[in-house]
Amino acid sequence: MATDNLLESLKRCIERGKVNCKSPHPPDMKGQDGADELTRKALDTGIPPQDVLSNALVLGMQHVGERFRNKEIFVPDVLMSAKAMSAAMEHLKPFFKSDALKHRGTIVMGTVLGDLHDIGKKIVSMVIEGAGWEVVDLGTDVSPEKFLTAVDQHPGCVIGLSALLTTTMINMETTIRHVKGKHPGIKIIVGGAPVTQEFANKIGADGYSPDPQGAVEFLNTRCLQN
Amino acid sequence: MGDPLARETEVFYPAFSELTINRLLLEKVLGYRAGGTPEVISRLIDEILPEVPSRTSVQCGFSILPIGAVSVSRETFTCDGVQFTTGPIIAKQLRASTTLALFVATIGSQVEQWARDLIDSGDAVKGYIADAAASEAVEQAADWLEKKVTERVRDRGWKLTNRYSPGYCDWSVAEQHKLFSLLPERFCGVELTPSSLMLPIKSVSGVIGLGPEVKRDPTVCSICDMKDCFRRQEEPAAT
Ligand code: B12
Repeated sequence: MATDNLLESLKRCIERGKVNCKSPHPPDMKGQDGADELTRKALDTGIPPQDVLSNALVLGMQHVGERFRNKEIFVPDVLMSAKAMSAAMEHLKPFFKSDALKHRGTIVMGTVLGDLHDIGKKIVSMVIEGAGWEVVDLGTDVSPEKFLTAVDQHPGCVIGLSALLTTTMINMETTIRHVKGKHPGIKIIVGGAPVTQEFANKIGADGYSPDPQGAVEFLNTRCLQN
Repeated sequence: MGDPLARETEVFYPAFSELTINRLLLEKVLGYRAGGTPEVISRLIDEILPEVPSRTSVQCGFSILPIGAVSVSRETFTCDGVQFTTGPIIAKQLRASTTLALFVATIGSQVEQWARDLIDSGDAVKGYIADAAASEAVEQAADWLEKKVTERVRDRGWKLTNRYSPGYCDWSVAEQHKLFSLLPERFCGVELTPSSLMLPIKSVSGVIGLGPEVKRDPTVCSICDMKDCFRRQEEPAAT
């Protein structure tokens, strides 16, 4: 298969959530190679890992994020694609380790203090990972101090805050003040069901998005370091 | 049945089979239009649903306040001396109430934990579906409870408003603390954190207006600004 064809097929596997040859989904791709096999093939054919990542995987995931935003597909579909993405990423891991491949940057994600909601943040994290960023997930009920420690461990990172209730959403402000007090230049994006652009502006967040794709766009336009 | 001058509190433990969660409903909850669900998702729903009942312990209960302990004004209502600020939208719906029922419903924390484990072990699709099933189950537990309240007050000639929850319209979630202060400790096994989060997470709380003059509002969705909500009922065509 020519390079372009291979990458195009791989991108399609991500878009359609085709994990590997054995996975029965989607029915019209039954028996065909999935993201797993095609990534291996691409690398074995000598396509540079960076091309595999940028010209197939990331493009595929971007399309998925856009279709989700337009309500053409829904969370389970996004998660199917994320699964295909992570099967592909397994093959790229060694290149990240050896520095042959670099993440576009790092985002530290967490649900703020007092809130235990996890799923929304995890979905955003998967899509962000699919865009070639490294995600450090601090989990839920994360204190401002913990965020600060994470920033010290990941210099130059971006922070993503999630909350699902208006009563916990206010802890975003505390967190932003705490972290920016020490790292004024750090970029912080907020999200979660009750959060609005207006609220984000008010508490001094740098970004807000109601959906994962908006987070990716924020990262790629406002947070790239090189 | 019951003494309207005394507080009437009751907790129920309905079997999961009392709820009606099926594949079609869940597909809708997940966002799909009829016939538009990918085959794999339908299959996963079929795999998950049978696993849900053994992981739930449904508990729901109401506390109907004595007549005279409740008053409703333009933007607030008061129960046993505790004043709630709901804003005008909810207060208007409660206005004609003779008294109010406070309620809580939960399905326990096991499905939620299971969903998290599935996601953490790499099976995010299944985990998400399980989590959505749990959310739907707790809503249905509250629906089930409404029927119990209906039965309880029918002989008095009372009807019910829709149920209203702190955190909707202009009613602040922070008022959960007031609501729980009027209920027995750990009512239905649910506790409230200082940040107004109910534990288990798959729980709902709220209030229902009761009385001969109250009405269910079929257009209640039109007062809410969650335009994309799958629960949104179509508004009757303007005349
Ligand atoms: C399902 C649901 C429930 C379920 C389950 C809740 C759960 N979390 O497990 C049940 C029925 C139990 C429930 C209960 C309640 N709920 Co509720 N619930 C919802 C509903 C309909 C969907 C939430 C959900 O699971 N969405 C799916 C996930 C994947 O989406 P998400 O978490 O929002 O994440 C997405 C985005 O927000 C974004 N995102 C998330 N994090 C981040 C972070 C960053 C950095 C970025 C960029 C983006 C981002 O991307 C994600 C993927 O698209 C929302 C309304 C809505 N449509 O959002 C209300 C909602 C969250 N609930 C609300 C309320 C008020 C309640 C109750 C307090 C009501 C009550 N008194 O009983 C309780 C509280 C429960 C508790 N434990 O304390 C309010 C919260 C707002 C507020 N006023 O505080 C909402 C917003 C509804 C409303 N009024 O508009 N609820």
